[in-house]
Amino acid sequence: MINTKDQEELFKLIAEYLEKDIECFAIGGTAMMFASYKNTTKDIDLVFKTIEDRNVFIKAIEKLGYSNKAIGNIYDNKRKELFSKPLIYSRGEERFDLFVDSVFGFKLDFLTFVQKHEFIGKQELILFVPIFELLILLKSITRREKDFEDIVTIIKTEKIIDWSFIVKNAIKQKNNLPWILIDLEDTMQKLRSITLIKQKYFDELYSAQN
Amino acid sequence: MISTEGKYTVETFAQKNNLTRQSAINKLSKLKKAGLVSVSGGGKQKRIYTLHTKPQKEQNGFYKIVNKYSPDKLNPSFEHYVYGKYTVENAIIDGLLIKDIRTKQAISHLFRHIKDWTKLFRLAKQKGLIMQLHEQYNYARKITKCKTMPKRYKL
Repeated sequence: MINTKDQEELFKLIAEYLEKDIECFAIGGTAMMFASYKNTTKDIDLVFKTIEDRNVFIKAIEKLGYSNKAIGNIYDNKRKELFSKPLIYSRGEERFDLFVDSVFGFKLDFLTFVQKHEFIGKQELILFVPIFELLILLKSITRREKDFEDIVTIIKTEKIIDWSFIVKNAIKQKNNLPWILIDLEDTMQKLRSITLIKQKYFDELYSAQN
Repeated sequence: MISTEGKYTVETFAQKNNLTRQSAINKLSKLKKAGLVSVSGGGKQKRIYTLHTKPQKEQNGFYKIVNKYSPDKLNPSFEHYVYGKYTVENAIIDGLLIKDIRTKQAISHLFRHIKDWTKLFRLAKQKGLIMQLHEQYNYARKITKCKTMPKRYKL
């Protein structure tokens, strides 16, 4: 577990060990902490633009004592078989899940973000935070322990959720990620007991799936 | 149950939550400590309390610097937080990267406050923005009263 303050300090430290400036997207619990939805997270999920950027980051965290770990039971089997699965690095209880370009095939648009966090050390580490609708969608893809709880937290905090954006983005990515619509529909069904989701969004998903 | 998001005065907050004036002040103070309330006004002006659903963090990046020094104020298109030393020089380079006319207009006023030309040109070189920086400087010289660039950086 890592809290907001420790996370900021850790990124500042990493920026001191980087060999060049790098930019990446923070998703999952890290993004939720930056956006003040929660105070602690189990893992730090980052998506890099290129493998080179990820390698620079890995080199820096290795100097700090983080080492590569097997993906183990963090993700289910269908996700573990994918080429776009993350590299896992950990040190004690802190863990990094490092993706490149996409999250299990879900391509990220690096130009759309709501927050920019710049850690200035020897080099710069720039982290972008996507809009919360995208966080909900990504959480329904990763489907780890506590991901659903995180979605509920976002929904309870934000009054207005743009379900149309979520559904349209999922449909756009269905060729890269075949099970995305099924997973999203499952999550949305569970969320019906907490929030109102119009039937038309389910219909859009069903027609896209067929 | 405390009322959610919105703007309140002490009186409206007390009325809406069925509290006495003093209880409302105490409650607002606790919420402010938790980062859930921001306050404007004070002194002769009436205090207006803005309630948020999430804790708010004060921004300290590009828009903070631009809106401090430039008479052309910008509406932030993203929240920018910086951990480390972020100066006018960094803001000029970030402004050039944004590539928006209003932003470029606003950053022209930052040339007045440059302290470290070496840093400015080092950052511009890193991002491949030397030509754009000279163009921006020439434009800033026309519309603002700004410092002269040291001769060694002139083209």
